[in-house]
Amino acid sequence: MSGSGEARKIRVWDPALRFFHWALAILVIANWLLGQFGPNIMTLHFWLGYAIIALLAFRIVWGFVGPAPARFGSFLRGPSAVAGYVRHMFDRSPSNWEGHNPLGALSVVAMLAVLVWQVGTGLISDPEDFVNVGPLAGDVSSALSKKAVAWHHLGGTLVLILVLLHIAVILFYRFWKNEDLIRPMITGWKWVGRR
Amino acid sequence: MRLISIAAAAATVALPIFAHADQKEDVLEARHGYMKMLSVNMATLAGMAKGEIEYDEAAASTAGANLEALSQYDLPALFIEGTAHGELDDSDALPAIWEKPEEFGTKYAAFAEAAAGASEAVKGGQANVGPVLQKLGGACKDCHDDFRAKE
Repeated sequence: MSGSGEARKIRVWDPALRFFHWALAILVIANWLLGQFGPNIMTLHFWLGYAIIALLAFRIVWGFVGPAPARFGSFLRGPSAVAGYVRHMFDRSPSNWEGHNPLGALSVVAMLAVLVWQVGTGLISDPEDFVNVGPLAGDVSSALSKKAVAWHHLGGTLVLILVLLHIAVILFYRFWKNEDLIRPMITGWKWVGRR
Repeated sequence: MRLISIAAAAATVALPIFAHADQKEDVLEARHGYMKMLSVNMATLAGMAKGEIEYDEAAASTAGANLEALSQYDLPALFIEGTAHGELDDSDALPAIWEKPEEFGTKYAAFAEAAAGASEAVKGGQANVGPVLQKLGGACKDCHDDFRAKE
């Protein structure tokens, strides 16, 4: 699967997707920190959450109508493709994959799913402090809105795990596989091998 | 006659055990009732702050006064041994309350501080309710974060 010998540089990530990625990274990290260490009046946490909803909505729409590397239909692959990718994953050479590889695709879906879960549980949370009540908490049962608080905390832990995994994998590609994945997400241009 | 005195003696010996079990249930109910009273008065202020309830100076001030009075109650005394989350059904009190009693006391004192003057502070218009509510709600959250089970 590695095409390092005949790799060429092409424009993989479109500008909207790159903006989405970095905006999401900043907002999610900021909102995680606000959730853990922020003020007791969580107004800013709420507003960043609303901005994250907008970003997620964009990404999901973009996953259907965006350029090929952004589309779920083009990067989501079956188990055999994932297994095939994993077999060569630990080769000490760049993957030069055009876009999300089959394994990374699962990580994309996991990240989006956990963030959707996070905004969903946040919107209906009622922590019974009368100030940090989710705007939709009144539209569900009080038992559910109370449970949502615990689910939101669980989601926070999952977000942390996924973000750390994401960073660890980027370092793995950079230092084990000698492939820089950060620059392409800034410039859009990536070394891609023939497949 | 002898049977009765034996039974009475047995009951006297057994009583502390029953009383003890009852006491746990009692303090738990008292805690929940206390929180419910806070909640009822907080709901009044929250409703007014959001404009869902029409601002009524007397009602707001009463809710504030109730919260002030409640904040003076010796709540920590209700957290007796054996009533933590996991030890007693329905208890959301984290073991941290018993592990860090001073911190728990400080957080509860912060609620009293937030409540101080609430009955006066909410007078004079709907716009004055929000800041008081935020101070109180912030104290709720601060303590719940560390000492209430998230379930």
